[in-house]
Amino acid sequence: MAWSAPIYVYLWLAGMAGGAYFAAFIADRFTGGGNRQLFRLATYLGIPMAVIGVILLIVDLGKPIRFWHLLTEFNVSSPMSMGTWILFAWVLIAVVLVVIWWSERFFDRGMPRSLQRLTSFLGGINVIFAVLLMTYTGVLLAVSNQSLWAGSVLLPCLFVASAISTGIAILIVGAMITNASTEVRLALNQCSRASDWTISNRTIVRLAEADAGVIVIELLALVSYAVWLANSSMAGASEGLSILLNGSLAAPFWIGVVLLALLIPLWLDIANWGKQIGSNKRVAMVIASSSLCVVIGGLILRAVITIGGQS
Amino acid sequence: MPKARLIDTSKCMACRGCQVACKQWNELPAESTEQLGTYENPPELSAHTWIRVEFRERPGEWLFRAHTCMHCTDASCEKVCPTGAISHQEEVVIIDQKTCIGCGYCVEACPFHVVHKDEVDGTSRKCRFCIDRITNGIEPACAKTCPTGAIQFGERADLIDMGIRKAQKLRADGFPKTNFYGEDEMGGLHTLYVLTERPSVYGLPEAPELATSAALTKWLIGLVTAGVVAAVPLWLVFRRKKQLSEEQQSKVEGGVK
Repeated sequence: MAWSAPIYVYLWLAGMAGGAYFAAFIADRFTGGGNRQLFRLATYLGIPMAVIGVILLIVDLGKPIRFWHLLTEFNVSSPMSMGTWILFAWVLIAVVLVVIWWSERFFDRGMPRSLQRLTSFLGGINVIFAVLLMTYTGVLLAVSNQSLWAGSVLLPCLFVASAISTGIAILIVGAMITNASTEVRLALNQCSRASDWTISNRTIVRLAEADAGVIVIELLALVSYAVWLANSSMAGASEGLSILLNGSLAAPFWIGVVLLALLIPLWLDIANWGKQIGSNKRVAMVIASSSLCVVIGGLILRAVITIGGQS
Repeated sequence: MPKARLIDTSKCMACRGCQVACKQWNELPAESTEQLGTYENPPELSAHTWIRVEFRERPGEWLFRAHTCMHCTDASCEKVCPTGAISHQEEVVIIDQKTCIGCGYCVEACPFHVVHKDEVDGTSRKCRFCIDRITNGIEPACAKTCPTGAIQFGERADLIDMGIRKAQKLRADGFPKTNFYGEDEMGGLHTLYVLTERPSVYGLPEAPELATSAALTKWLIGLVTAGVVAAVPLWLVFRRKKQLSEEQQSKVEGGVK
């Protein structure tokens, strides 16, 4: 097996980084800049996830020292080469955005308009790279000769849906953790006002609602992908599928993917529908559990597909 | 004129001379293997075994096929290689061991399961078509050693003629399923076969496909999923919020008036 744990963890992290950025970008722009903190949180979360993913990828190479060869080649037909450049571009722009945000404090009268326009422009450009990044995690496997990966053109669809779903979920988890730490710091008088980082409970609820919608799309993508494989002309496609459905990977597939990544969070989100996070902590707990299921289930999805394709 | 080798399965007696000659010429180490209930050995191609006689043990009939790199004209391994380590030298598909980073993509992309990653060295390895021999006018070690002429080396065009005629003859002589493999597959293979059974019986794909054949479609499907399909729930949810805030705003403005 040429590709194992470091690869699927990397695909999961890179997809989640792209998905979080994509979701936060939409949440921010569609509300006319109403979710700036969420957008920043997505960028701050995405950079370490992408960087850890790259480190895993390099360590997994047969010759890690030679990874720089990836940066001297631009091969359009190789999804790995394209992915290298997409990842490189996304991280680079994200870091530039962070540097600009940090520099804000040096301007007495707020950020100049030109810089504001630049961040807005770079943020928009990077959402294209985020979409390409999510897509690449699926295309990487789909462009191969392993029947489970290449037997259906819908694998990128499934992986993109999973990337956005896990991305939204990690945003929810991240937002809850930052909010909680802000509360603690306020209580300890370590900061004077509710910091810029606070993400409103309303936004968190909306993210959970959006994730329910994305999970439905992911569920449809999974079913279509499986049906396509079952009818694929590619040799070994239906055998590959049966490894997931009733073969050696059936347990992680049904429990980890179908239940944990899809049905349980969907059920939790529906049960929570229309409720707001208030003094009652139960709603928040349900949203947090649902999000954690999505994040862990997303990893299991990447794992079973990566391992199943090579067995 | 491109060279090729023609493997005639009707002549192969599974002596495995090709395996030994390949190991000798390329100085490849032996592998310790286990008895798996078959005379086939080693159990699969590896980074150190670049040609191997595959057995199909059926009652009353054994089929043998030397399995090695096809040196495809349209090579999946070359297409997906992210560092340009895999290239064509004339008809030979060769891995530059100094540029290979050991990412394993060629292993996943090869439709014939030929490329393998060396676990110790870390780079991908496979048959080099004895490029050092053929550029000096000597046939590859496997063809040179083959005692029955089951592996022949020569001009590709000549071997195609020879293979098609041999397949016709075998079909007439009581092997009705005999077929010639490799003329058009993957843009034309440089390892050609006369097969006495369907390719799938010998473990060959009936219709091998280039790994990158539907790549554009796969990219587009991913992009559409994100940009169009999955954006909808996010848009629905957050657009609603915008309307709300506008309502609130108008209330505030109304209050000021």
